[in-house]
Amino acid sequence: MLFYILKRVAAGAIVLFLITVFTYTVFFVLSPDPAYMICGKTCTPDRIADIHEKLGLDKPFWEQIWIFISGLFVGREYGEGVNAVHCTAPCLGYSFQTSQSVFEMIVQRLPVSATLAVGAAVLWLLAGIGGGLIGAVKKGTWWDRGIMVVALSGISLPNYFVALALQYILVVKLKWLPFPTAVPFADDPLQWFQAYIMPWFVLAFMYAAMYTRLVRANVIDTLGQGFIRTARAKGLDPNIVMGKHALRPALTPALTLFGMDFAALLGGALITETVFGLNGVGKLTADSITQNDQPVIMAVTLLAAALVVVANIVVDLLYSVLDPRVRVKAQ
Amino acid sequence: MMKKRNVVLGLGLAAALALTGCSSGGGSADGGGSSGEAVKGGTLHVLATTDFSHLDPAQGWDGGVNNFYRLIYRQLTTFAGGDTDDPTEIVPDLATDLGTPNEDNTEWTFTLKDDIFFQDGTEITSEDVRFGVERSLDPDIAVGSPYAKILLEGADDYEGVYKDGHLDSIETPDDKTIVFHLNQPYADFGSAVAQPVYTPFPVDGDVTTTSIDKQPISSGPYVVSEYKPGSTIVLERNEYWEPDSDEVRKAYPDSFVWTLGLDNSTIDERMIADQGDDKNAISGIILASSLSRIQEPSIQERTLEGLKGCTTYLALNTTKEPLNDLKVRQAISYAIDKKSVQTATGGPALTDIANTMLPPTVKGHQDFDLYPSENSEGDPEKAKELLKEAGYEDGFELSLDMRAVPVTQAQAESIQESLAKANIDVKLNVVDTAKYWQIIGTPSQQTDAAIAGWCPDWPTGATFLPPLFEGSQIFDQGNSNIAQFDNEEVNERMAEIRKMTDVDEANKAWGELDKQILESAPAVPLTWEKAVTVTGSNIANAHLHEGYSGGIDYTVVGLKSVDE
Amino acid sequence: MSAPASELAGGTRKGALSTLDSGSAPNPVKRVVAALRSTPSVVVSFGWIIFIVVLALAAPLLEQITGISPYAYHENAIDPALGGLPLGQWGGVSAEHWFGVEPGSGRDIFMRIAYGAQVSLTIAVAATIVTTTLGVVFGMLAGFFGGVLDQLVSRLMDFLMAFPALIFMIALLSALPAGNRPLLLVIVLSIFAWPYTARVVRGQTMSLRNGEFVESARASGASPARIAFKEILPNLRGTIIVLSTLSVPQYIGTEAALSFLGVGVIPPTPSWGQMIASSVAWYAVDPMYFVIPGLFLFFTVLSFTVVGDHLQRQLDEGDAA
Repeated sequence: MLFYILKRVAAGAIVLFLITVFTYTVFFVLSPDPAYMICGKTCTPDRIADIHEKLGLDKPFWEQIWIFISGLFVGREYGEGVNAVHCTAPCLGYSFQTSQSVFEMIVQRLPVSATLAVGAAVLWLLAGIGGGLIGAVKKGTWWDRGIMVVALSGISLPNYFVALALQYILVVKLKWLPFPTAVPFADDPLQWFQAYIMPWFVLAFMYAAMYTRLVRANVIDTLGQGFIRTARAKGLDPNIVMGKHALRPALTPALTLFGMDFAALLGGALITETVFGLNGVGKLTADSITQNDQPVIMAVTLLAAALVVVANIVVDLLYSVLDPRVRVKAQ
Repeated sequence: MMKKRNVVLGLGLAAALALTGCSSGGGSADGGGSSGEAVKGGTLHVLATTDFSHLDPAQGWDGGVNNFYRLIYRQLTTFAGGDTDDPTEIVPDLATDLGTPNEDNTEWTFTLKDDIFFQDGTEITSEDVRFGVERSLDPDIAVGSPYAKILLEGADDYEGVYKDGHLDSIETPDDKTIVFHLNQPYADFGSAVAQPVYTPFPVDGDVTTTSIDKQPISSGPYVVSEYKPGSTIVLERNEYWEPDSDEVRKAYPDSFVWTLGLDNSTIDERMIADQGDDKNAISGIILASSLSRIQEPSIQERTLEGLKGCTTYLALNTTKEPLNDLKVRQAISYAIDKKSVQTATGGPALTDIANTMLPPTVKGHQDFDLYPSENSEGDPEKAKELLKEAGYEDGFELSLDMRAVPVTQAQAESIQESLAKANIDVKLNVVDTAKYWQIIGTPSQQTDAAIAGWCPDWPTGATFLPPLFEGSQIFDQGNSNIAQFDNEEVNERMAEIRKMTDVDEANKAWGELDKQILESAPAVPLTWEKAVTVTGSNIANAHLHEGYSGGIDYTVVGLKSVDE
Repeated sequence: MSAPASELAGGTRKGALSTLDSGSAPNPVKRVVAALRSTPSVVVSFGWIIFIVVLALAAPLLEQITGISPYAYHENAIDPALGGLPLGQWGGVSAEHWFGVEPGSGRDIFMRIAYGAQVSLTIAVAATIVTTTLGVVFGMLAGFFGGVLDQLVSRLMDFLMAFPALIFMIALLSALPAGNRPLLLVIVLSIFAWPYTARVVRGQTMSLRNGEFVESARASGASPARIAFKEILPNLRGTIIVLSTLSVPQYIGTEAALSFLGVGVIPPTPSWGQMIASSVAWYAVDPMYFVIPGLFLFFTVLSFTVVGDHLQRQLDEGDAA
């Protein structure tokens, strides 16, 4: 078992490393020169050369990647002397446009994205699994049809459309809610709730729709399988049949997916945050892309990838706990 | 010298361009307005889409951030308050007067007032002023106003106080006196020292090139008590600021709170709705889409209107064929339907049609229209005539550089349409927003024409015409003379005007030079954008200031009433 | 096709793609078509799809007939004093402008919707073709040959699936020069999406590979290529059709989202997503400009999904026999 864990973690680390190299390369090749965004109006060739030196852009490509990767563990310095900028570990980069270490910027905004992710996750798991179960059990009835129609809408409506429409109706027309302003829960619970309820709903609607369809299909499938019929034939209490035998295999794919979806969401719900004006990691990504703030774009991409890789590992490990077949196969 | 530098507002969500600008001059009316007496106290809120570029005045330089700096920084001189008759007048701030020059205006002496302090209570001395300038010249951070680098003797190859020690051309004979040695006669130096790079900082305060951006050291009425980049800025009172030493700043509110990162349409919605804290809020320019919603009297009452003081123009690259032919450029000047460009920019409520390069807010501005047409809709017939004379009867192709920003898009397409009527086929060359200024500022990369904008650093033609039309200001990179205009007569006249010792005479001469330049049609002035903004219902003494791109002057605005 | 979906257009999960049994019921195509025709929701959805396709194809013809280009400004249809608000009710709906005009420019919305349909469909279909081809090829290679090839392909797929696709796409697209945008979009979309198709195909291929008919083919000395093409591929047909049909709405949604964020198709080329983005500032005074592209997007994605869903159901039922 331990060996399996180590193997998975090692594989994950390799994937991350490759992603880092790949991302860096792509940006290196494609991005416009970041110097112009930094020196603003006074870009002379000298100035630009200075900036290149400071950012380490005059070094050979492989050295740059090495500096970047090692910076993740031990930090790095930009420039020299009195005005050197220290970027402490983990150094995800330094944004000269905003004079901040990227790690700092991300950490500042993480609470908003985390709140968004957790709140939405709770809602969508409840709705998705609940909806899927009900739909499967009451297959063919009006319940089922209704749920499927809602789910279908959820995956067909663009989420920014829903977000904007919701905001327009609830905030502008009906004035039931104020414009979302993200505050920490401790400061003003009511405003906190009012700020997050709409984005939670928008995200949850979209994901719940997907999960409902998935869970429903899986449960129907499982219910039709041989071993369920056997269990029923044996006279087992239908609830136990449902809970113990049907649910587990039906839910494991949903679990896999949830891990990845949740992790991706922690990396920032780009569109939702932008539409509602919430300063989370997603909005940071969107803003930095507009302003071509390279270090930030790269760092956020890597962070998001890292989260997904970690989530995959966690889910795989959980899977092996839940499903003994996986464990055996692994050995 | 200032280029309009735009950071795209939100991804495709904003329909308005926020022109970053500098100062401009002349008077302009506040339409409607939140007048009335303001009271001391309360918290004033500001809703904004983007963060300020830098808290360090050596680095930040645009209308919005310059306005902000006045709350926490003071210089030797500064603009008058927005609530005076002529806000663009330069008045003394830390200094006792506007400076005493020597005979040929190459040496300027200023005396500091008493009762001026930093936020920790230490007195501001002349060494601090010198230090402020010297650190701003460090190449690492010299991205702000260039008016120290250009004017001070020896500043050219000076690498800042951290590398080169003190700058000899700034003398501090005693704590209250400071003397500047310039590298050229400059009659208007009293205005130049109002620039943010002349902000003092404590010479023995552990100030580095990066520390001020994080921890500003205030010399003004407020201190930065909280700064979450991209989210919020909170200002509280600087208890050591002496109101009697400051004739400009009123500092009514107890604190200011900026909410950053909001979407433009959200801001407009909130200002229109006027709920809760938004009653005590001000913001920037409204979107064109909000115009129809602010027509009712209750909102008109709290709407301010004025000119931003910048010009949007079409630059014609005079080195490319057939634009090197004067008649061709004149034909283009006749053909463009400026009415259509005005509509594309948001209509008459948000833009005025421009027929001169200098905006009306500049001192010495002259009004003329060298290429008139009915209703400013363009005269394609006249254009075709001129083209025929030039030998281009069948027209020609023209490549127009533009960014994929909605307003510029609309303007470009409108130009395309009107030039098509004169047989000129315009191809739109869409340049990445991030690369735009880089490309049009590099002569080897720009194409035939480009839509650009310019705001004067302070309201004089001296900071407007030379950067755009002086032959010696054509650079390989970071070029502002996009038309690459190099006309001997014009260059000579510019040198002459610079030597004038009477500032008013000089300004008048610049106004006349505007006409002379446009006779050669290196550019076509298109529009002067207006600043239209809605304030909360509890805001008082809000005035637009042309020195700050038509933004509301933060130093005089306050609340009508404060209830707990 | 995207799992995880991040925040793009919703996806569907290949929840229970049961294993294909050999030799399905006689003339499955007829059965499927009959089943579909009898389901009203499918008929309606199909009708909408036909409508959109026709609209997209006929756009240039419509332009000829009406004389209105999607790029032309109509300044007489808007009120410049009010910032360019469309004149008249419902956002300027009139005999000349069936869907009204865009605020600020006065461009005809109907024509822009039609050309936008062209853009959306072209990109979505092209991406689907590329993704399906790549997915089938790689999936079959990995599933059929197994061993090292499988390992390589699977690792590659893991790698690509671990990418935060949306962020990467946005960053990539904003960094790339404004060249042939639709082509770029197709490439970028396909790069991250093919592993999901490949994964399913690989799984299917692996099960098929051990089937009886493959055994007999092998026994009779057929080459691997022949087996792959003649025995396995035909049995994947149903899966491929379903995957493709369900991919199209994904891509339509993704392209719209990217255009919404400003990194998709470059204006003035019309795109439904980009129209929604522009409409945000105006939705208080001209909601039609917001609603129309939104509804078109919604119905188009919905229709493809409904058809795909039912196809899948038919496929599953065909096998469960």
